Amino acid sequence: MNRKTLAILAAVVVLPLVLRPAIAAEIWIFAIFGLGLNLLLGYTGLLSFGQSTFFGSAAYVAGWLLKHYGINVFLALGTGVFVGAASAALVGYLCVQRSGLYFIMLTFALNQLFYFVAYQWTSVTGGEDGMPGIPRPGAFLGIDFRDPLPYYIFVSALFLVSLWIMKRIVESPLGRILQAIRENELRAEAVGYNVARFKLLAFVIGGAFSGLAGVLYAMLFGIVPLEAISFVTSGNVVFATLIGGSGSLYGPIIGSFVFIWLSESVSTLWARWPLLLGVAFVIVVLFFRGGVVEAWARFCAWWQERKWRSSRQNG
Amino acid sequence: MAILETERLTKSFGALAAVSDVSLRIEAGTLHSIIGPNGAGKTTLFNLLTGSLPPSSGTIVFDGRDITGTPAHRVPHLGLARSFQRTNVFPAFSLLDNVWVAAFACGPSWRGLAWRRADRYPEVRARALAALSDVGLADKAGQPVREISHGEQRQLELAIALAAAPRVLLLDEPAAGLSPEETRKLVALVRGLKGRYTIVLIEHKMDIIMSVSDRISVMHFGSLIAEGTPVEIQRNPEVRRAYLGGVAA
Repeated sequence: MNRKTLAILAAVVVLPLVLRPAIAAEIWIFAIFGLGLNLLLGYTGLLSFGQSTFFGSAAYVAGWLLKHYGINVFLALGTGVFVGAASAALVGYLCVQRSGLYFIMLTFALNQLFYFVAYQWTSVTGGEDGMPGIPRPGAFLGIDFRDPLPYYIFVSALFLVSLWIMKRIVESPLGRILQAIRENELRAEAVGYNVARFKLLAFVIGGAFSGLAGVLYAMLFGIVPLEAISFVTSGNVVFATLIGGSGSLYGPIIGSFVFIWLSESVSTLWARWPLLLGVAFVIVVLFFRGGVVEAWARFCAWWQERKWRSSRQNG
Repeated sequence: MAILETERLTKSFGALAAVSDVSLRIEAGTLHSIIGPNGAGKTTLFNLLTGSLPPSSGTIVFDGRDITGTPAHRVPHLGLARSFQRTNVFPAFSLLDNVWVAAFACGPSWRGLAWRRADRYPEVRARALAALSDVGLADKAGQPVREISHGEQRQLELAIALAAAPRVLLLDEPAAGLSPEETRKLVALVRGLKGRYTIVLIEHKMDIIMSVSDRISVMHFGSLIAEGTPVEIQRNPEVRRAYLGGVAA
């Protein structure tokens, strides 16, 4: 087991001791969401500004089934993954036809489309009031998920599974092909890959992760707020991923921690907390394009060099 | 036997016919060069052959099969691979990964596409390494692209095309921008590939063309104006006028 895996496992254990379990759970949920986005953003080089489409759709559909039919928790998760993937297939199919700025605007525009459906369709979604009353899964194997801590364990276990799956995907030929598309779309096509098809696949996988995150979110708070499907949520996940570092598998996890921790802890102390995020973002864009992950790597390199120098001086 | 054949192939951009009425026969196993002044339509012809551009009219027959209109990403799977005039690689990748991506695309199977680790495909890796050693870059396999010279990038460009294990290689000015020393190295390389592949070569440097080609076709303003052996082409008065005129005068 490598150091990164150990660090994540340690974080999973320590986090609920230092933060409220609900906030800790939200961090891992947002990290799953970020993992899905990063397959598009970091690996394929596609900036999707509409990820909340899949997050929100999954939360609404699974939330509605949980609320009215009391479906089994695993069925709810499966529904979320499916709705996330299916909505991503639909949106992705339209978006991959275009590239660059047009691509970004299309993801955003389709997000707005879904948002206004949710906004208008008040009988189902509750419109601006959100969809409240979503039950958390009841007792399972003698563990009651309605208590915050067991639910935290449930969420973090799903996060670890998601991370493992994503790691397998990015280290597979598919991951390499997506990176090849990011590096040089024209050549990827010329060596024999149907670029549009692969981009769509990245969308569907990213959508499935977003969908899973959406259901877990709905069950965590017992409500699907309208914001879950708005462009603000889409922007937040892009923001968090960039701050963490889109060049790395672990970047979105760190980004999620920074983002959720700031928004949940600092926001109670200081209402203008987004200012801090803005400053962090400017620093990242100006100095650390690879986010916290790059900043950390550079710090380690600097530290190593310092140690090496001082050992030479002393010796 | 002709392995690649075009029949009255035409590509028009508005009023301009970049390629017009080109009927070409490439015999299997030969090195067939296409020459012509800048803007003669050579690269456009390659773009048509590889499906990057749809022809306005005419047909392309590869190995007895009409492949006109085949999308660009299908063409390498048929056994037709190209290199580019401007180096067109995957900049953040190592040399091996650049070639690996091409070898995997045309490999025997995509099983385990999204699940098996990319380094667990020994046959793809072997083929990628073979392509790198064919161009003399095997000892730099692990290096990133930005650390190698322009000449080596041209070799890598060639290796990516070779990794597809093609039956026909389309080489678009492989020696573009190379020093005389690097050019000699690359010519030796292309000469070494002769016989193993059917090669269609676009080149500007006449000394290269005359020394390696079995047959030469001459394009001028989108049309074929002559075809023959190097000696025939050198003697052809029309070719001299169109292409060598400046040099002869």
